[in-house]
Amino acid sequence: MNTPYLIFSEIRHRKLNVLLSLLGMVAAVTLFVFFFTAGEASRRETTRIMRDLGLNLRIIPAHTAMDKFWATGFSEATMPEDCVHRLAAHTGLNYSHLLPLLRRQVAWRDREVILVGILPEIAPVDQRQPSMSFKIDPGSIYLGHELARDLGLKTGDAVDLLGREFTVAKCLPENGSHQDISVFGHLHDVQGLVGMPGRINEIQALNCLCFDTKRDALDVLREQLASVLPEAKVIQIRSIAEARENQRRMIEDYLAVILPCALVVCAAWIGLLAMVNVRERRQEIGLLRALGRGSGRIAALFLGKAVVVGILGAAIGFGLGTGLALIYGPGVFHVTGQTIKPMYGLLGWSAVIAPAFAALSAFLPTMVAVAQDPAVILREE
Amino acid sequence: MVHAQQISKVFRTRRSAVRALNVVTLDVQAGEFVVIRGPSGSGKTTLLFVLGGMLRPTSGKVVVHGRELYALSRRERADFRARHVGFVFQMFHLVPYLTVEDNVLLAAPPGEAPALRTRAAELLSLLGLAPRVQHRPAELSAGERQRTAIARAMLNRPDLILADEPTGNLDPRSAAEVIAGLAAFHRQAGTVILVTHGTVADQYASRVIHLDEGMIAHGPIDLNAE
Repeated sequence: MNTPYLIFSEIRHRKLNVLLSLLGMVAAVTLFVFFFTAGEASRRETTRIMRDLGLNLRIIPAHTAMDKFWATGFSEATMPEDCVHRLAAHTGLNYSHLLPLLRRQVAWRDREVILVGILPEIAPVDQRQPSMSFKIDPGSIYLGHELARDLGLKTGDAVDLLGREFTVAKCLPENGSHQDISVFGHLHDVQGLVGMPGRINEIQALNCLCFDTKRDALDVLREQLASVLPEAKVIQIRSIAEARENQRRMIEDYLAVILPCALVVCAAWIGLLAMVNVRERRQEIGLLRALGRGSGRIAALFLGKAVVVGILGAAIGFGLGTGLALIYGPGVFHVTGQTIKPMYGLLGWSAVIAPAFAALSAFLPTMVAVAQDPAVILREE
Repeated sequence: MVHAQQISKVFRTRRSAVRALNVVTLDVQAGEFVVIRGPSGSGKTTLLFVLGGMLRPTSGKVVVHGRELYALSRRERADFRARHVGFVFQMFHLVPYLTVEDNVLLAAPPGEAPALRTRAAELLSLLGLAPRVQHRPAELSAGERQRTAIARAMLNRPDLILADEPTGNLDPRSAAEVIAGLAAFHRQAGTVILVTHGTVADQYASRVIHLDEGMIAHGPIDLNAE
């Protein structure tokens, strides 16, 4: 009478015990799969929220007069455009999404406007990521909301800007900042208009969330910048940085608390049912002992059953967890929910982890079964 | 076949110690049918478990089929039990989720069940259980369950069957059928040691041993005393 035959015969006989164990296993795998599948959407959502918060670092020339900088919103000093390429060429820095720009205040059509020249975003060599900023083609400009409205300009209009003709490629939505009175153009166009070829006065960037948490993030950024661009300094927009950090921590704490708690509860449930099963099968254990079966064979009966429950639980739990993520994910993650897809790799992981998890949960009851004294059991009436 | 020398067994709890066997010496020859009789708590079942290698005595030596049981490792003793000893219990101890045939084959050593299927069928037929082969224990009468247990004990052609009150839960007719099953094994040169309250086995017994307060009572035994 081989062990698998006994395991499957017992499973068919004690359906309720198996169903209840399976319930615990399915719950554990469902949670695991749901959190990972939805967690992927959560990660994307976090990224999107962070991106929407904007770049939070401003790298400006080191000798910038800060009183004027805060009064006007930009640095009077400039630095070579090459600075951005030097920064991007370094690996291991906590700067990403490098956006070089030249910002100047100019008079245009009887008003003061902020003229901003930007290049397409430059990614450091070890941090290739989708761009967070818009890109402007040479010969085109974007107009701030207030400016476009006051001047009656719309997309496609040809305008003269400081003696050169440009096409309005886009009128930006209302932003509530001085972006609303800004004109955005290609960096090289703007450099030509203000007579500062090859110069920039700011590099905007995003700090990556990979700091040594024991050190202040800004200290690390300043240290890194000093070694690469000693002619520049960095300012961190704290509110944005803290919002990003809080968003990241919230998601991590959420997963770090709920998932282990749920898994412990499921493990306890499966272990409890395995213990009930051992109690129910005391006489069978005693009999097998009397028939000369060793501890390994007895343990294999209980651990084997746990593994079967684990495999079934993995298959059902994967389907259920994925289904729940697909159904309820979009309601939780409004921005990225629609992009939630089944993660079939999790099925493989579940098929490996779930049986191991079930066997681990049933380990103590199995040891209790193995330790049963047949002489005591078989004398019970 | 069985040589038990000066066996004592003391069960200890935190508060007390109970001496279940008190220096028992017993020799059973191959082919004997020995009945052990005694009042409740006299140590009959304890003696049977000690002789079967299931309960280590506090002192004394047990030699079965030339092997000193408690000098063997636990694993070796389990193997020895599987090959040479068959057990029959008062409570039958059939596995509820297996058929009658599978319950009998449960005694087969690992990997040998297919080869013993024919023998299992013969034994079940011999014990009048052929129509019940595919039934589960819950569908059997008490007598049929105990005969299934006897077939299981006989499957491996053991040298010795140890039966602990096998008729304790049976009506007289079923009890007679069960004892007849054990007698059939005895007729094929098997050795039987049977613990019982009743007298139904006396007609087959080579000897009746009386156990009282953990000791073998010497002197004439009145076979009709109980």
